[in-house]
Amino acid sequence: MEEQGPSALKELLRLSTIGVGLVAATAIGLALGYFLDWLLGTRPWLTLAFTIFGIAAGFLNLFRDVGLLKRRP
Amino acid sequence: MAAETTERRMSGKTFGLALGGLVLANLLVGLFLSPRHVALQHTPIVQIPNFLAFLGVPGAWMPPQVTFTWIVMGILVLGSWAGTRSLKAVPGRMQNVAEVALEAFHSLLDQMIGKGGRDYLPLVGTVGLFILTSNLMGQIPGFQAPTANWNTTVALGVTVYVLYNVYGIRKHGFLKYLKHFCGPVWWLAPIMFVIEFIGHLARPVSLSIRLFGNIFGEESVVAILLGLTWLVMPYLIFLVVMLPLSLFTAVVQTFVFIMLTMVYIAGAVEEGHGEEHY
Repeated sequence: MEEQGPSALKELLRLSTIGVGLVAATAIGLALGYFLDWLLGTRPWLTLAFTIFGIAAGFLNLFRDVGLLKRRP
Repeated sequence: MAAETTERRMSGKTFGLALGGLVLANLLVGLFLSPRHVALQHTPIVQIPNFLAFLGVPGAWMPPQVTFTWIVMGILVLGSWAGTRSLKAVPGRMQNVAEVALEAFHSLLDQMIGKGGRDYLPLVGTVGLFILTSNLMGQIPGFQAPTANWNTTVALGVTVYVLYNVYGIRKHGFLKYLKHFCGPVWWLAPIMFVIEFIGHLARPVSLSIRLFGNIFGEESVVAILLGLTWLVMPYLIFLVVMLPLSLFTAVVQTFVFIMLTMVYIAGAVEEGHGEEHY
């Protein structure tokens, strides 16, 4: 019974961290692509590709967090 | 058992006294200081002359977040010195506090990382106590929380980022740790590597932005409410809603930060090969 309260609160806190992670991954992807474009002079392409990678990374993290939540009884 | 109950009642009384003192201090500030003093850019209560100007630090005074970081460091050093000065089997008051804190961190580490989790107590404990102390210090009028400045939280986030990667490499070796990033299917490995790399880079960013945003936002709201004290109603809102809420935020954000730190460490040092099927 004493286990229930803190555990539920912990899961709630864990869930509250998902949103920022999704945005941060996308932003990091965009920044990385922009920087590489500036470095290599291939203006639109790497920005596009890395933004998509960033979005994918954000969703990967999201699915991991949610999956971790579901696995625990 | 009786001694424990007495101890608990005494700590309850101490806690009540601290809370009452906090309310009283905020009451006095609201009543007697002009609103200008409690605006967001108010002059902090402690200022240290800029003695590092030859290193390129701008301004006549040290930046407030640096000053208050030093104050937090002083509080923590003095507290841990007082807690471990004379260790006894039956703990005194300060040793009791230190033991309770240590126990809390130990149980968290055991829960989140599992076997061998206590090896990471130095990082997690230091970060947790530093953030908790500075968040709570921001509630005292005239003091600023160092964590309300993005520079401090980025320093914390980057420290955590570098250290959990170091722990992972130390546990698995460099190549095996990199294999973690490549995912389960070999022909997806190049794409997975880039995606995982970006995902890991996003971690210190989200850690630092979350902590900074919460504490800074809460301080901004408090500053605006205190700036409108002469309207009375915002001041009541501050006392009844914002003060308890900001104390709660201080504890919760500390907890979120160290919990995510432990999740990252656990992910870096776990035995599996990165095939995370959920």
